[in-house]
Amino acid sequence: MMTKKISDSIRRVDAVDKAGGYTQYISDMSFDELHYGRLVRGLRSHARITHIDLPALPDGYYFITKDHIPEGGKNEIQQIGTDWPVFADDEVTFYGETIGILVGPDREKVLEIERSISIEYEKLEAVFTIDDGLAMKTGLINGTNNTYADYHLNKGDVDAGFARADQIIEDEITTGFQEHLYMEPQGMVAQYVDGDYIITASCQCPFYLRKAVANVLNTDKEHIIVRQAVTGGAFGGKEHFPDIIAAPLVVAARVVGKPIQVVFDRKDDISFTAKRHPSRGIFRTGLDKEGNIVAMDVDVTINAGAYMSCSNIVLQRAIFSINSVYDIPNVHVRGRSVATNAFPSDAFRGFGAPQGIFLAEMHLSHIASHLGIDPASYKQRYFISKGDTTITNGLMHDEVKLPLMLEKAAEASDLYEKQRLYATGSGKGMGVSFYNHGAGFTGNGEKEIIKARLRMKKHRNGHVDILLSNVEMGQGLQTTFPKIAAAILEIPMEDISCDNPDTSIVPDSGPTVASRSLMVVGKLVERASQQLKERWDESPEVEVEVKYIHPEGCQWDQETLQGDAYPTYGWGVCIVEVEVDPATAEVETKGIWTVHDVGIAIDEMIVHGQVNGGVIQSLGYGSLEKLEYKDGRFYQNTLADYMIPTSMDFPMMSSQLVDNPYENGPFGAKGLGELVFDGASAAFADAVQQAIGKNINRIPVTPEYIMEVMNS
Amino acid sequence: MSTITFRLNEKNISLEADPASRLLDLLREDLGLSAVKEGCGEGECGACSVLKDGVLVNSCMVPVGTIEHCSIETLEGLRETDEGRCIIEAFADTGAVQCGFCTPGMVMASIALLRSNARPTLEEIKVALSGNLCRCTGYDMIIKGVQLAAERGDGIW
Amino acid sequence: MVKTYRPENLQEALRIRRETHAVPLAGGTDLMVRYRSWAGTLPKFPWPVLFINHLTELKTMGLREDGLHIGAGVTLSEIEREMEAPQALRAAVSEMAAPALRNLGTLAGNICNASPAGDAVCVLYALDAQVVLTSLSGARTVSVMDFITGPGRKDLNDDELMTDIIIPHANFSHVSYRKVGTRKANALSKMSFCALAKTKLGRIDDVRIAFGAVGPTVVRSWETEKKLLGMDADDLKDHLSAIHDDYDAMIHPIDDQRSTAVYRKQVSLNLLDQFLQNLVKEL
Ligand SMILES: Cc1cc2nc3c(=O)[nH]c(=O)nc-3n(C[C@H](O)[C@H](O)[C@H](O)COP(=O)(O)OP(=O)(O)OC[C@H]3O[C@@H](n4cnc5c(N)ncnc54)[C@H](O)[C@@H]3O)c2cc1C
Ligand code: FES
Ligand code: FES
Repeated sequence: MMTKKISDSIRRVDAVDKAGGYTQYISDMSFDELHYGRLVRGLRSHARITHIDLPALPDGYYFITKDHIPEGGKNEIQQIGTDWPVFADDEVTFYGETIGILVGPDREKVLEIERSISIEYEKLEAVFTIDDGLAMKTGLINGTNNTYADYHLNKGDVDAGFARADQIIEDEITTGFQEHLYMEPQGMVAQYVDGDYIITASCQCPFYLRKAVANVLNTDKEHIIVRQAVTGGAFGGKEHFPDIIAAPLVVAARVVGKPIQVVFDRKDDISFTAKRHPSRGIFRTGLDKEGNIVAMDVDVTINAGAYMSCSNIVLQRAIFSINSVYDIPNVHVRGRSVATNAFPSDAFRGFGAPQGIFLAEMHLSHIASHLGIDPASYKQRYFISKGDTTITNGLMHDEVKLPLMLEKAAEASDLYEKQRLYATGSGKGMGVSFYNHGAGFTGNGEKEIIKARLRMKKHRNGHVDILLSNVEMGQGLQTTFPKIAAAILEIPMEDISCDNPDTSIVPDSGPTVASRSLMVVGKLVERASQQLKERWDESPEVEVEVKYIHPEGCQWDQETLQGDAYPTYGWGVCIVEVEVDPATAEVETKGIWTVHDVGIAIDEMIVHGQVNGGVIQSLGYGSLEKLEYKDGRFYQNTLADYMIPTSMDFPMMSSQLVDNPYENGPFGAKGLGELVFDGASAAFADAVQQAIGKNINRIPVTPEYIMEVMNS
Repeated sequence: MSTITFRLNEKNISLEADPASRLLDLLREDLGLSAVKEGCGEGECGACSVLKDGVLVNSCMVPVGTIEHCSIETLEGLRETDEGRCIIEAFADTGAVQCGFCTPGMVMASIALLRSNARPTLEEIKVALSGNLCRCTGYDMIIKGVQLAAERGDGIW
Repeated sequence: MVKTYRPENLQEALRIRRETHAVPLAGGTDLMVRYRSWAGTLPKFPWPVLFINHLTELKTMGLREDGLHIGAGVTLSEIEREMEAPQALRAAVSEMAAPALRNLGTLAGNICNASPAGDAVCVLYALDAQVVLTSLSGARTVSVMDFITGPGRKDLNDDELMTDIIIPHANFSHVSYRKVGTRKANALSKMSFCALAKTKLGRIDDVRIAFGAVGPTVVRSWETEKKLLGMDADDLKDHLSAIHDDYDAMIHPIDDQRSTAVYRKQVSLNLLDQFLQNLVKEL
């Protein structure tokens, strides 16, 4: 029973089962007559398939290709676009594109058959970099002239601004690929039973999966049932990518008539799943005599790869984040998502914001260093406030508490004293970053596209079910949703269930993405709970359904990308202290301090868990997680070579919260899952540049790169 | 196939298995012990951790032929003991669990640590967990979980 | 399906080795990764496998007159805890992989793997370690550097097992070991550095300098070490740059997925300079 504050921590409902190893993930579940599937991939970056030589298949073994798509079904996966085929048609356009799926009951046999399949190709030229893609070096790969989108944002009068400039600072900053590295690899089981397709999957978005495969099967969505299996981490990697596995798998399930499991081995998961988009920002910024910014022109490009997936939405967030917490006059941002023959990039915690924020934070730091001003003080000049104009010419509705947050972070870290002690280039440095994250979908996505619905049901015995489609993937929703309901209904948590969604049972409350679940769907839980409470005694069984209501005063034009891009923002300050070894350029992180504004924490322990996990993941992105695309494929493709942080890489961190309730979130809560990733990599890079006294222009900031910069 | 005889969670067992196969597969598939997870199969992530003759090992690295006459303990055999409960409860109380996929391995590594060192320092805890990757938590709350288990477990360890 | 053998004792193991040339598997931490296959299927060993990690004859470790003997079945964890083991070796071993892996992996496996990035190997070079190779026909002892003939290549006959590693007695007043890994723990080496020195009456009495992961095999130069012998602080100071240049000419690293040639080389030379400068101060 909730008698305490909503923020007071409670035990997660799933903790004991998970820690005791009772919880079953997809690869732990048993199915009768389970068959095993292996994706047969085109191991060329760009090639025409000229011949597939298949050995004679023993009984019960199948090689499923586009020819098995049911009549009327399409060889295309319905994502935001439909360009990504289920099976490569005649051409392979990136290394690892699915050609077919091999299925059978005995795995050794399946492997043996796989080894004797030979695929002949005619090699075609391929390009992998943003510049080569834009230059159409090998002709059209996808999109319009190899861009999926070409956006322009204009705020103020850029030409007039530049006309007043005393000097212009130019900068080029880049970020690399990042692998999600959820600890549970991609996996699902599909079966075809009496005309219904049942997909049990480790995934974030059961209804996306349903939509993705419906046209392939040429069947009604009702005949596709998606059940979420307990999901061992996702971070965006199980947002759209499961579509790419499910589509060929359901085609196979229909032919084979037995449940088929596809679980990726780690090496396949690193080699053949989507990553965070690499990005580049080219900046031209005009400064007046006092060093104030009078105009800024930014060209942002992201490497989207061979198919569009959600790249344009990622790009939107990236360009909206170019001014993140700052109100800068006279800005023009151009953003392009570029088609190449690289593995298609996709959603990853932050969804473009970490890229945009890193680019901008580093650029502003470079300007400050150039002017001989401490970057954190310089950036403060431009802090946006309530009522100011955003980069999309919308209104900042939030009370912005950044000055207070900086004060707290500075005090906790002893920032000013340490800045005084550590001279620039002394080998020690303090880095500071500021960031915000627009909570929920961009603009009017919730209203126009998602249209979330949620049901709550009181049973005869007083037990309450919350029926929604948002998944528990580690972020704690199966604790926080019931906690909200329990607080309102004034019943014990144990009397409320919020199970893994099954699309044949739950209404579509939208995908588990964009830091929307707790804020947007949690609000629906709050409203449904209030209604249920009012109607509690109406009858032994009561069911309520609520629909999303768009916040008033939020205007958005998706055509021009103008207006209020987000209804509200989470805010953050991160300070990182480093020491650089002069002999090896290895970086020792001495301290990490963060302050976040997430509205109101629904559960402080869960929030701190998100902060800690997000910040360490971001520090990995900023320092360790080198992922090169070499010879047309990912070069660091094992866990021995792709480095995520261990327990020894970073010190324990300090994290604080400031309250700043948001009226359209439950109990005042805002989104936070991605916010906590957005800034730490920039703080780390900033700390390193203070320590070595030279500009850092890209992440990951590896010792190799630091040495290169120090030598230059 | 050969007959392999070993002790599993305090019981002697004998079964037919290919000696070249992985202990991980034997436990998960033949014996249904799914608390043992496969996160990589490369020895890097620790999700498959079990105890072999009392010491922590990665079961993905162990061929079944090498466990003859050994004692193997998995989380299934420990989760209802005082040791197991102590860690599991401590993890639940410190927020050490998020997606949970790394957690069984973390619990095993913590048991191995506390059995040999009931009062570990922060540094010793970090070292003991260094072969167990977690992508969700950032480790702080897991480390606090181990500290809490050490504190509470007076007499158990 | 690959044939496997689990001998009862060393004698039987050697007989199997002679008759079948089955490949020894100790901790398995190299072999199980190299031949791993799809989850739920067998590792794809291309030859019969001989399990040896249970053989008690190989599990002994202790001091004898010619040095510390480490049996081929002794695990890295056991060496980490062995007080009689040289400080540099314990340091290297304690930074290899992670605790659970160290409970499986062996020093013999690290040597026989003959990887340029094998961490213990770098230190064993510096320690003048020897290995004992035994077959039914008898045993021979060779130095680690003669044993390892190239990346993944070694002087091991197909009827032999490595049974012992011998680290000759020696005392060093200066011990420097540094692993520059891909991260702070559970990491493979980008390069490693081991330098050992003994000084007597203000002069260098013994010195060994080894670099790992910067060439096909560990880099160590007896010629340059000889030059250092007998030097006092002033001599050493005068020769710092000449010594630096000697190694500069010897170290030829490569670019790979873990690091770059340029970085490896510069870090090697920086660590060398650091070691020698400290030596100057302490002579
Ligand atoms: C996750 C992970 C991290 C690692 N980290 C490191 C690290 O930081 N540093 C490092 O150097 N290595 C590292 N390794 C590699 C490996 O753990 C070590 O090389 C280890 O010492 C190998 O020992 P083993 O007994 O497990 O070898 P095995 O796999 O059993 O054998 C390795 C080779 O040696 C041969 N062999 C073994 N014993 C004998 C014998 N008695 N006679 C003849 N031949 C023999 C085998 O036939 C095989 O060719 C790592 C491995 C993994 C999986
Ligand atoms: S599965 Fe064994 S260490 Fe990852
Ligand atoms: S809790 Fe998800 S990997 Fe550790």
